[in-house]
Amino acid sequence: MDWPHTIVSVLKQYQVKHVNYLPDAMGERLLKLMREDPDFDLLPLAREEEGVGVVCGQSLGGKRGVLLCPTSGIGNSLNALASLPIPYRIPVPMIIGFRGDLGEFNSTQVMMGQALPDIFRAMRIPFYELKREDEVAVLTEGFLRICYATESPAALLITTQLAGWKE
Amino acid sequence: MMDMLAATEALARRLTDDVPVVASLGNPGLNLYNAQPGRARNFYFRNAMGAACSLALGLATARPGQRVVLLDGDGSLLMNLSSLASEGWRGPRNLVHVCWDNRMYEMTGKQPTATAGPADLAAMAEGAGFPHVARVETLAAFESAIERALAEEGPWFILALVTGERARRDPDGPKSPTAIRHRFQPELGG
Repeated sequence: MDWPHTIVSVLKQYQVKHVNYLPDAMGERLLKLMREDPDFDLLPLAREEEGVGVVCGQSLGGKRGVLLCPTSGIGNSLNALASLPIPYRIPVPMIIGFRGDLGEFNSTQVMMGQALPDIFRAMRIPFYELKREDEVAVLTEGFLRICYATESPAALLITTQLAGWKE
Repeated sequence: MMDMLAATEALARRLTDDVPVVASLGNPGLNLYNAQPGRARNFYFRNAMGAACSLALGLATARPGQRVVLLDGDGSLLMNLSSLASEGWRGPRNLVHVCWDNRMYEMTGKQPTATAGPADLAAMAEGAGFPHVARVETLAAFESAIERALAEEGPWFILALVTGERARRDPDGPKSPTAIRHRFQPELGG
């Protein structure tokens, strides 16, 4: 299996149904598979911060959702993360197309990309970088496990090393 | 112009126990607590301004068979206007989005919001694709709108023009986010 199929298969195994998203080229590799799959319910958003609230609401309703978005979108979501799922203890799994790092062609993406790991460290949000096909299954499963165990946000970063960079 | 507490009490009288109510930070949540201090299925925001409507959208998406009531404020909704577009696009039939509009950031010193100027949140909800939009200025009109919204398919957007009083902050009111969450969540049931 290639990495998009692996991620999708682990999400299904963990009964993640709701996929709340802002599109990017990496996320689209997953969305393409999910659109064809009746196990997923896709909810397009206009701003990533909405997704933090939406995943919390789905969790309070007894269902599992994820936020799928690019790096810049996490920048749009910081106070929502800090003041909703973290203090209320609500699991929010985030799958992020990691822009602004290896091979980036657009310099305006780089500051957010370089800051993101330190932002997650400062907020005590566990994050895992997908770099090799043979690690995708264990990191995807492990990221969901810690997210649900801690009832708090956790992040999975799809890197250009795995997915290739934009030309 | 109606009083927010009186309108919240009128809403509370019409709610069955199973309906989850999500309240944005500040006066909407304070008045919800004052109207119904013992009710378990109330979710109170303490911060995350603008995110209450997104949480209600997520809840409505996860529980399509259950009515979900959101008590929002003009300042909160203006902070996250894109959510109105997402709600309108998804169009959950079980969602009742009430927005108390006092045209000010009351909690921080009554500074005006854009609705004190030309902004019209009801028109924006219509523009976002809400099939049912009510703009109500009296308690009687609010009561009639909420009765329809609780009985008929939505999504509903009810813009309620309220006066700018500060809600009483009950010292026994909800403070702990985890206590709010644990009280709210197990009660949702099937």
